[in-house]
Amino acid sequence: MSKKSKDKMHPYIPELVNKLRKGEVTRRDFLNTATLLGVSAGAAYAMAGLPAPGRKAHAAAKKGGNLRVSMNVKATDDPATFDWSEKGNVARHMTESLVRIGDDGVAQPVLAESWSASEDLKTWTFNLRKNATWSNGDAFGADDVIFNFRRWLDPKTGSSNQGRFSSMTTTSDTGNKDENGNAIMSTTEAGGALEKIDDHTVRFNLNNADLALPESMADYPALIVNRRFEDDGGDLIKNPVGTGPYTLKEFAIGEKATLVRRTDAPWWGGETYLDKISYIDHGDDPAAQVAALASDQVDTNYQTSIEQVGTIKNIADLEIYERVTAQTGVARMHVTAAPYDNKKLRQAIQACVDHDKMLKFVYRGRGGPAEDHHVAPVHPEYAELPKLKQDYDKAKKLLAEAGYADGIELRIDCVANPPWEQNACLALSEMVKPAGIDLKINIMPGGTYWDVWASTPFGFTAWTHRALGVQVLNLAYRSGVAWNETNYSNPEFDKTLDQAGGILDPNERRKVTRKLEEILQDDAIISQSLWRSVFVTANKRVKGLYAQVALEHHYNGVWLDG
Amino acid sequence: MLIFVGKRIGFMILTMVVVSILLFLLLELTPGNVATKVLGPYSSEEQRNLWLEAHGYFEPFYIRYFDWLGNFASGNFGDSVRFKVPVSEVLWPRLANTAILGIATFAVMIPLSLILGVLAGMREGSKTDRSISIVSIVTTSIPEFASAVFITAILVFWLKLLPGTSTMTYGFDIVQLILPAMVLIIYDFGYVTRMTRASMAEVMTTQYIRTAVLKGLPYRRVVMRHALRNALIAPFTVIMLQINWLLSGVIVVEFFFAYKGFGALLLEASLNKDIYLIEACAMVAVLVAVATQTIADIGYTYLNPRIRFS
Amino acid sequence: MTDRGIIPASGYGAALLRALKSFGLLRESRVGMIGAGLVLFWIIVAIFAPLIAPYHPTEQIEYDLLPGTTGPNGNFFLLGTDQRGLDILSRIIWGSRTVLIWAPLATLTAYVVGIVMGLAAGYLRGWVDDVLSRISDIILSFPVLVLYILIITTFGASKINIVIAITFASSPGIMRIVRGLVLDLRNRDYVAAAQTRGESAWHIMLVEILPNARGPLIVDACLRLGYVIITIGVLGFLGLGIPPPDPDWGGMINQSRQVAMEFPHMTLFPCIAISSLILGFNLLADGLREISLRD
Repeated sequence: MSKKSKDKMHPYIPELVNKLRKGEVTRRDFLNTATLLGVSAGAAYAMAGLPAPGRKAHAAAKKGGNLRVSMNVKATDDPATFDWSEKGNVARHMTESLVRIGDDGVAQPVLAESWSASEDLKTWTFNLRKNATWSNGDAFGADDVIFNFRRWLDPKTGSSNQGRFSSMTTTSDTGNKDENGNAIMSTTEAGGALEKIDDHTVRFNLNNADLALPESMADYPALIVNRRFEDDGGDLIKNPVGTGPYTLKEFAIGEKATLVRRTDAPWWGGETYLDKISYIDHGDDPAAQVAALASDQVDTNYQTSIEQVGTIKNIADLEIYERVTAQTGVARMHVTAAPYDNKKLRQAIQACVDHDKMLKFVYRGRGGPAEDHHVAPVHPEYAELPKLKQDYDKAKKLLAEAGYADGIELRIDCVANPPWEQNACLALSEMVKPAGIDLKINIMPGGTYWDVWASTPFGFTAWTHRALGVQVLNLAYRSGVAWNETNYSNPEFDKTLDQAGGILDPNERRKVTRKLEEILQDDAIISQSLWRSVFVTANKRVKGLYAQVALEHHYNGVWLDG
Repeated sequence: MLIFVGKRIGFMILTMVVVSILLFLLLELTPGNVATKVLGPYSSEEQRNLWLEAHGYFEPFYIRYFDWLGNFASGNFGDSVRFKVPVSEVLWPRLANTAILGIATFAVMIPLSLILGVLAGMREGSKTDRSISIVSIVTTSIPEFASAVFITAILVFWLKLLPGTSTMTYGFDIVQLILPAMVLIIYDFGYVTRMTRASMAEVMTTQYIRTAVLKGLPYRRVVMRHALRNALIAPFTVIMLQINWLLSGVIVVEFFFAYKGFGALLLEASLNKDIYLIEACAMVAVLVAVATQTIADIGYTYLNPRIRFS
Repeated sequence: MTDRGIIPASGYGAALLRALKSFGLLRESRVGMIGAGLVLFWIIVAIFAPLIAPYHPTEQIEYDLLPGTTGPNGNFFLLGTDQRGLDILSRIIWGSRTVLIWAPLATLTAYVVGIVMGLAAGYLRGWVDDVLSRISDIILSFPVLVLYILIITTFGASKINIVIAITFASSPGIMRIVRGLVLDLRNRDYVAAAQTRGESAWHIMLVEILPNARGPLIVDACLRLGYVIITIGVLGFLGLGIPPPDPDWGGMINQSRQVAMEFPHMTLFPCIAISSLILGFNLLADGLREISLRD
């Protein structure tokens, strides 16, 4: 690799600025790509001719108070294995990530002060914050970051981050065979992937170009724990060591989590307003949290379901925050399991769906129609394909070609809560009926459903927001990754996906994404219900709050008025 | 009496053993991947196997059962998969919460239903009797989940009188107890009232009460002195059995109001197939069932002179 | 083989006469009549569901319509539509079928098992009684709802599993009642007469004893039907009930509860439906008991 100055701007930036000026790329595309390449948000906004974003200092902001939040309190012991955003929300006040996705959907630095990428996007240099300290007295530095990545990439940890950072791993044959005689493969850290430059600089040497690297570092399992985390028992609850502004005071799964301001050392980010953050678990009944909000037992919540929006609007003290996201739900099929291994059958199901009607009945139109390829209009690389149309003649023809001229009975597994998921299954079941498909819905309680979510041949899965389309395609549809719930394996798709991760020009990237979208849509491995808006409710006394795209809680700028 | 209690304790232990074996078997049929629950859905096969081995899950069923039985008998209930703490750490506080809710419910419901039942049974067929009977049969016909929705709508959302959930996050708060107790009372008081009424009505038709009235004793005195004692024997049994009912009757209410009690715990344990927690909860349930039945039987014998002296 | 040959016509006539007579007796009890009326109303609704329901119960038309509104295509919705766009009236009408098929079926199977166990325990006595009584004591010492939840979470939520769960949990209670009645009846003259005739034990139990124990059992069955309906409702409420898209009252309440503060009608109507049917069975039981006490 040629000479690289860590503070030097990525060579593509001037061209990008040029394109923005000429109107060849949109402001949003510009901001997104520039910040990913390490241009600070302030600078990127300035280049785009926009006012700087970020935390505005509130003259009236008051210090103190206890923010009471209604949210399920789940086991939060090891961030590396987190599988729920709620876990990340409790932990994020203590342990922070390198990067986060802010209010504007753009990557912001947290524990990483800045970063830069090589021209080919294979070498990334992250400059770490020098004034961050751990609550156990350690200074935060490169060793912590290297320790975390090493842990994530180790298959023994079982972290979903291994797939997130697949550009840092290699897969090899263990020499052992499983029961069916297939070779057992093992994915491990690639040699030389992690490099410590100095105490506050880390370099990542990737196998392939990955523009999404900073975004991946913002996902909830990528919270950075102390380098002695495992020696200290590997349990964040029993030993809450972090760099964040708060520390854990009380914790009981299914009941509550209380965080109080850290007193041992000042937080690197300055002062936060809240003295205390209390998470209160109202169980699996979504109506309970509305009752708690209405009777002022909590100040805000994790998420307000679409059905509750109307109720909340009628209550004068409460405010609804809405955000259009790339959160979605997919009725996904195992391409390796009969009858779903039959592409014609999958396409028949696809042909039955009226996506506008789906959005209207399942989500009251609050979001966008989906297109069965899991790239959202809010994603910067989204390419618009011809709209899918409901076509029963085509569906019947495909069904007959698939060998089910007389119809077929199918069953979809779906989790009981939140209700919109089973409503999506209900709507799908209604839509496939005229084509001769009798779709039964098997509603399962969460505890049981999560045992089978990956193994059931036909199931409904909700996916959270990710900033880039390629991120979620990498997580869910690349051959062999942990969250590949369709067992989809398409070399052409994988190759195109590699290619997409290395293209800087938003317009060029869009062309490749278009190809990815077409492949996925044609293979019809998912029937995607809709893109949904998310809603968060808060009492009007809560200020500085926003609904984050992945429902993350960023409470460092939140304060209580009165 | 001692023999009677001894027999009951023997039966209770037998029941506990049978129930615990059945539960073990039931969960054995659908293993539900305990390791996945503990380590998360993204854990590797290798990790899961290591965990299962370390926690003795590869042992044959009967060995695991006897291990559990031995531990249970010595007071070690095992660890909860859902709550990641020893079972006893969640079980006792939750049971205490339900006991509090139960006491609050009974403290209002029993006097209320006894008074209404006696009033109704005193003069069978009277206007009072008919109105009380109708109210009690109608309230018994409205399921708890239906009344909970509408009581919440009125008292929490509309009149803004009461808090909508009862998590008791900041310590015990009696105001938060009102709604769950109210729903339980509305559903259950009718049953006890009707039982009391039937018992009272039966006593009022007996020979000695009729004689007492015919002798010209004041009606009130007849009721207070003679009829009440006999009329309350049957309701006593009914009330004891309501304690047993309450253990599962609270599930809906605790779920609805997010009250952290035994019923909600049992529901969560079942939904998460948290075997050791289910076992411990089941043992508590059996204990309560047998104990209340025994007290009901002893009380019945003690209160009913005809049985005692025969 | 002709139908006529199996049971003599006079048998039909006598049975019919008896049924008419007990119905006539019911007329003496006002609550009993109201109860019978409510139950009969729902039975008729269930039978004629396809004729009276204005829409298909899973057809998504237009959501959030208030009762008595006319939809965009000129469709009229007497009870409005729910948050998913389904016609509430049609779902209640079709839901009556679900509840009136599965609740009585579950109760019936529980009765078959409970009666057989109770007859055997009460008539044969001895070790049969000991074993059956112990089993029922054990099942009864366990909270009922918990039993349902465990069975449903283990074997999955389906109609058949609900029937199995209810049978398992309710038959011991029925057995106790039957056993008590049999203990009372087994020393009657007609039983002794049958024994001297050399009738088999099962003949005596089913033909001689059971018909004479039917009074209290019918009362109990009515009450129990009410409980079973509540139970199916509670399971639906906890998300463990009859799987959608089949209309089920408990499930309707559970789903519409999220919007109950904005659109109370979506919850209110299914609540009225389920409560009125339970009330019907409870009043019927009351009426029947009143009559049996008069005899």
